[in-house]
Amino acid sequence: MKGRVAPAVFLGIPTLFLAALFVLPLLSMLVLSVWRTENYHIIRDVSFHNYAVLATEGAYMTFLMRSLVMATAVSAICTLIAWPVAYGITLYGGRYKLLFTLAFAVPFLTGEVLRIIALQGLLGPLGLLNGVLLALGAAPLRVIMYTNVASAIGLVYLYLPIVVTVIYLSLLNFDQRLIDAATIFGASPARAFFEITWPLNLFGTLIGFALCFIPCLSATLAPRFLGGPNGTLYGMAMAQQFGESGTWALGAAMGVVLFAVSVLLVVVAARLVDLRRTGFTGFGRG
Amino acid sequence: MAYIHLDGVSRQYGSVWAVDRVNMAIEKHEFVSLLGPSGSGKTTLLRIIAGLERPTQGRVLIDGEDVTELPPHKRGVAMVFQEFLLFPHRTVYENLAFPLRMLKLPKGEIEARVEWVVGILALRGLETRYPNQLSGGQQQRVALGRGLVGRPKVLLLDEPLANLDRELRQEMEVEIRKHQTGLGIPFVYVTHNQEEALSMSDRIAVVRGGRIEDFASRADIYDRPKTAFIAQFVGRSSRFEAIVAGGDRRLALRGDGILIEAESQPGLALGERVAAYVKNEKVRLKPAEPGGADAPNALPATVRHVILRGAYAEYVLGWSGGELIASRPRSEAEFAEGAAVTAFWNAADVDLFPVSEPGR
Repeated sequence: MKGRVAPAVFLGIPTLFLAALFVLPLLSMLVLSVWRTENYHIIRDVSFHNYAVLATEGAYMTFLMRSLVMATAVSAICTLIAWPVAYGITLYGGRYKLLFTLAFAVPFLTGEVLRIIALQGLLGPLGLLNGVLLALGAAPLRVIMYTNVASAIGLVYLYLPIVVTVIYLSLLNFDQRLIDAATIFGASPARAFFEITWPLNLFGTLIGFALCFIPCLSATLAPRFLGGPNGTLYGMAMAQQFGESGTWALGAAMGVVLFAVSVLLVVVAARLVDLRRTGFTGFGRG
Repeated sequence: MAYIHLDGVSRQYGSVWAVDRVNMAIEKHEFVSLLGPSGSGKTTLLRIIAGLERPTQGRVLIDGEDVTELPPHKRGVAMVFQEFLLFPHRTVYENLAFPLRMLKLPKGEIEARVEWVVGILALRGLETRYPNQLSGGQQQRVALGRGLVGRPKVLLLDEPLANLDRELRQEMEVEIRKHQTGLGIPFVYVTHNQEEALSMSDRIAVVRGGRIEDFASRADIYDRPKTAFIAQFVGRSSRFEAIVAGGDRRLALRGDGILIEAESQPGLALGERVAAYVKNEKVRLKPAEPGGADAPNALPATVRHVILRGAYAEYVLGWSGGELIASRPRSEAEFAEGAAVTAFWNAADVDLFPVSEPGR
């Protein structure tokens, strides 16, 4: 009996969890997206009006494109920074490896709003950075004052710890002695990196990238406090539908579109990457 | 000039000398084993030859060139690792082709050489598999193939058979030796397993505490151990403590209830404490004779256990001073457990060492 109960419990609980907290809300969003909202009331007329609005009003497409570019750039920057940081920790962290990694996550001890506001104080027109520049008689850096660049800095700051942690965990699982083997067989250190280290940690890197990319797509706080007038991102616009404007049905449609885009990107990524080529052995012995 | 030279090589970790002033000369066609217990520094020594460790002192010369400062990828050596360390994201073919790609050989040449290695190591049909789809023995063959395919100046093997079961190990021993002879390149083989060392090597270096205890032909290491440690570590033997009691051509030794006669050896004074080692297979057995226990090198004993090892039987014998093991071919007369026997051996088969030396 034990043989049947254990898998039922271990696989059943996550299944229930996903069904109750992910699939159901998603379905409700799907339903809501084909209804209408008028004067803060939900009207149950089935139509694709909301989707038509999203497709025809240029602003939403602009927000989506801007968000895609933003998320790609932020994830790429995070990955570029996280790799040497995580690699350095695994190589030289010694017995303090875990401590270093955890220290990187210390900003998480404060709320997201607080961190973004603090960053505003650093980057804004009267912020610390420009304040110092002005005091030194230099011109202030306009590029970080309520711009998309400021948003990007904020998002990198928010998600870098996640990317570092994921890549660190990947590297922790990576057998460094494979590099010994590669160099013995004639690979220079750089060659060994691209032949062995990079492909064997590509899976972890992609997960880190995705865990930064997806929340960036729906980011609301960073663009709102740092992005300025031209910094509206898709997620921020979506949040507004549920808040100020009270157009929940349109917001739901935006959410569905966002989900579809995310799924599409994951599928494309999965198509492009051959997991075997990343040393992924989760298929079991075949 | 020898092909590989280790010249006063030492390696320090903190305050510990893992390798301590090692001098070795290895010839081009030699199969050399570094044999020692774990922690003796044999693997560190191998990694120094590979370039994976830098010696604190001393020089490493390969083929007349001082490679002490060269990184591993410029040394032209290859290595087979205990854990195989095959590249998990590459197929068998790609693993075998890796050293050749690094040598920037033309594609046709790479295919031909991989084909050659696939042939000699019986890997045909496995080329498109990934390492985790192979058995331990197959992985070991691929690892060996990856070591041979680039025709390195020297192949270093770090306990390559330790993770294989006994039968497979013996098969691989024959195979490894065959390829070494065939290729005519030196193999340096690290092991803690004396059987592996004895079965394959031309010469064996016994490593202990970072130093080479002795570096000699396998027959010399086995038959004429230079130190008590080697007598203890190589082969299986019984140990007696005794005092030199006299004699000139033959030494008479007296222990607790035992009279040992051994070939004379310079440097042993009258009254000195010595340890005498007799290898298990040198101990012979005959039925006990009533009253005849005073002869030298003869010990009245009782058979306590009989362990069958295929062609051999191991007799665990109890005598008044402890236990003694005799390993006899099954073709000889067999003794039952509980039988009273006389264990005896030749004076020439006793290895003597002064006890002042830290023997055990």
